[in-house]
Amino acid sequence: MASVTLRGLTKVFDGTAQAAVHELSLEVRDGEFLVLLGPSGCGKTTALRCIAGLEEPTAGEVLIGDRVVTHLPPAERDVAMVFQNYALYPHLSVRENIAFALEVRGVPPGDVTRRVAETAVRLGLGELLDRRPAQLSGGQRQRVALARAIVRAPHVFLFDEPLSNLDPNLRIALRAELLALHRALRATMIYVTHDQVEAMTMGQRIAILHLGRLRQVGTPADVYERPADAFAARFVGSPGMNVLQGRVRGLADGGRVVEVGTLSVPIELSTYEGELQLGIRPEHVGLSGVDQGVGNADVLVVEPLGSETLVHLNAGGQGLVARLPGIVDVQVGTRVGVRLDRRRTHLFDAAGVRIA
Amino acid sequence: MAAAAAGVVATLAVALWAEGRFARAAAFRTAVTTAAYLELVIPPPRPPTPPPTPRRPRTRPSRTRRPAPAPLPPPSVAAPDTTDYDVVQLLVQARALTTLPGWTAPVEVYHGTAPLVDATAPPLPAAELARLRRQEPPRWRNGAALVPLKDRRGLRVVGAVEVGLPPGRGVWDLLLRWALPAALLTLAAVGAVAWQRAPPRALVAAGLLLGLAAYADVRGAARRSTDDWLTGTRLLLREAATRLPTPRARVTIADLASLVRGAGELVPADSGTVAPRRFRFAGVPRAAATARLGSGRWVEVRTVPAEAYTGGWLLALLGLALTGPLAALGLGWAERMTARPRELRETAAAWAFVAPAGLHLALFSLGPILFALYLSVHRWVPAEPVRPFVGLANFGAVLRDPLVWVSLRNTVLYTLYVPVSMAVALLVALALDGHGRAMRLARTAFLLPYVSSVVAVGLLWQWLYHADVGLVNRLLSFVGAGPFDWLGRPRTALLAVMLLSIWVHVGYQMVVFRAGLQGIPRAYLDAARVDGANAWQRFWRVTFPLLRPVTVFVLVTGVIGAFQVFGYVYVLTSGGPLHATDVVAYRVYQSAWQFSQFGYASALSLLVFLVLCAATWAQFRLLAERVEYA
Repeated sequence: MASVTLRGLTKVFDGTAQAAVHELSLEVRDGEFLVLLGPSGCGKTTALRCIAGLEEPTAGEVLIGDRVVTHLPPAERDVAMVFQNYALYPHLSVRENIAFALEVRGVPPGDVTRRVAETAVRLGLGELLDRRPAQLSGGQRQRVALARAIVRAPHVFLFDEPLSNLDPNLRIALRAELLALHRALRATMIYVTHDQVEAMTMGQRIAILHLGRLRQVGTPADVYERPADAFAARFVGSPGMNVLQGRVRGLADGGRVVEVGTLSVPIELSTYEGELQLGIRPEHVGLSGVDQGVGNADVLVVEPLGSETLVHLNAGGQGLVARLPGIVDVQVGTRVGVRLDRRRTHLFDAAGVRIA
Repeated sequence: MAAAAAGVVATLAVALWAEGRFARAAAFRTAVTTAAYLELVIPPPRPPTPPPTPRRPRTRPSRTRRPAPAPLPPPSVAAPDTTDYDVVQLLVQARALTTLPGWTAPVEVYHGTAPLVDATAPPLPAAELARLRRQEPPRWRNGAALVPLKDRRGLRVVGAVEVGLPPGRGVWDLLLRWALPAALLTLAAVGAVAWQRAPPRALVAAGLLLGLAAYADVRGAARRSTDDWLTGTRLLLREAATRLPTPRARVTIADLASLVRGAGELVPADSGTVAPRRFRFAGVPRAAATARLGSGRWVEVRTVPAEAYTGGWLLALLGLALTGPLAALGLGWAERMTARPRELRETAAAWAFVAPAGLHLALFSLGPILFALYLSVHRWVPAEPVRPFVGLANFGAVLRDPLVWVSLRNTVLYTLYVPVSMAVALLVALALDGHGRAMRLARTAFLLPYVSSVVAVGLLWQWLYHADVGLVNRLLSFVGAGPFDWLGRPRTALLAVMLLSIWVHVGYQMVVFRAGLQGIPRAYLDAARVDGANAWQRFWRVTFPLLRPVTVFVLVTGVIGAFQVFGYVYVLTSGGPLHATDVVAYRVYQSAWQFSQFGYASALSLLVFLVLCAATWAQFRLLAERVEYA
């Protein structure tokens, strides 16, 4: 097993001005399940392909274990990759697909047969070995792609949005299966996704990328509770954190408040002046009678979800979502008071970097 | 339903008209032959007796208009006018006609306007005679064919011969052995369908039956028409042999030939059946009857049987008979459709979309194929008016022709260039798989020969291959080889053409392969790289199998194209030397356009077509399995 280390990894594609990946430094520990999370176009797949050796980095280094593999071909890196569209060879049967990597590496035929059989049993593919990929369902193809990766027993597994083409129920089932596999294999796995729920549920650590730059690395709890910047705050969580534009104002009694639309939220920040952004997760927003909270807001939309209700508010031009437990009886168009859990507010400067 | 009934009536009418036409044609031919007979058998007036003026003393305005070329008045001239007939003899011979045993058609002979056979019959109107003199086409008059009777030199019209229909050939007698019952049946079917007692399909069946029945009648009429003429002519021949002034034993075919001039031919024969019969002579259908000229001397009169060329009537009658039923079906369909306007609109739109391509296919593919099929079973030479049906004789001739086998062998050998050029093309496609300027330029260069004129390329290579000044030999001389007469030696000529073909086709195949390569998702190759496959393994185990549909396409089109190679052979070698580059397409061309054997050429091209179908099918079977993408 091996760790994966990226040092200042930069990739600029020909003919583009902006780097797809910019100075990415990251260490994935041996046996860790790390999720690279970000919206589409953030460079997470490019980073993964650099690790696999399918892309040559413009600058920086890739290490697998202690070995610098930056310029080695994929074959010599001992990584396996599962592609978004599975990339199962359409002209080969399931058995041949799984055996392919072993055969081209010159594994003796007896071993190939044995290892293919073992892997097939492990992933429940025994019945499907003689079918072709076109005859399989999406979930079955995904399993074959997994089998093709694990049959080689590589040190590092790379997953490029492997579940994004599946329907939601299957996705949840396969998520659990993948985690079980990770526990069983104890291999290093790097998993790329744009789905923050997948990231939160699967990742031991999450690395958030945006516009080719690494924004935050941390455990799911870290990322959720102490987002490093406004982007990470908004991106993680469903719905994401409310990030409101505000302005700090000193009060006559020496206290300070942030004026956010019609709300004025007291803060304990003595030195900061001017524009800032106030973050608060929806579950830390509550409703009260008019003039009883930090300010008033108009109810725009009510979404009752059963276990909870999402209330979209307009506080003087600033949009705000409140997540309330159970079914809440609020009328659209009425004015309500807003309460904030002050201990759970996050402050970011105008550029989005966390202040407190 | 009214349309269907009208169709029935129209079919009957057309059949009737066609039958009448054939009957009249027989009467006309018999009349012409009778006139020729009279011209032949009547002796010139005897010199000693002062000839009674052969012309009737009646005033004939039409004659006065015509300047008389041989003036009669000078009585001192020794030679009398031998061009006109001895009226007595004419009278005798004309009357004798009606007594010929077996002669059935009513006949009248006019000298001038005077009837000779039936003296009490009304005379021929002067206007009719004038018409004949003006050489206007013979006319059907009062139920009989009227043709001119010319003088002995065949120049002047001196009278007329009128032949009517034999008994049993009248219009109502013709009606109609098969057509009438079939028509009644069809009308019954129309009624049944109208009262919804039968499905509309029955109409089509009835229409088909009616068409066939009407055709059978028309064909029968055509046959009778030929038979009638043959019978009449046979009688006249026999009679002429006895009446000719020359000694009977010396009557020759040449003496009698004028009887059948333009209508048939006379050949000497052994004794034979007297009744008309049918046979094929050199593939051409013939009808014949035999006449006895004298003891042990027979002559056969042959003609083209009218019924052999009635195919057009079959089509016309079938078309007409089916018009009604099809119209009824169409109307029924339209009725159902108007109830569902949306479906009608869509159907109409669908046909409208299909129509251009369908028309094009029908006109330029189906039509020529059908014509080739037709040609292949006929002896078809542009200069010959007769294009007889010869069955499979053309195919037999093709298969027995050793040159065909030579050309087939050459073509198969030539086709071997296809896999070679494909391998080169695939290599080039892989090597030039880039976006740079140089890559694009190189690809264009490779494609250039393919888009160049065949003749230009052929001429260029003719020079390259030239034995004395060619570039190929020049280059070979540097390594001390050659010189070879590439195109002049049977051993190298085909190879030379194959090399040229590789050069031409690599570019095109490269373009197709490149398109195929770009159609392979990169993910497969990425996966193979991660799996540890090296470049060769990636090509051989991933790229090449995924390219299989493209490979099959290039191979199949290449083989088909190779089988049709013509231009390069035509320009470079014209099939030579010693047929070393004689390929099937060249063979087809030569048979058709140089030897004028279109039937043979069509048969050969159809055989090639069959071979190609089989080859293509085999290639698909061998190569086209499992090409789906997941």
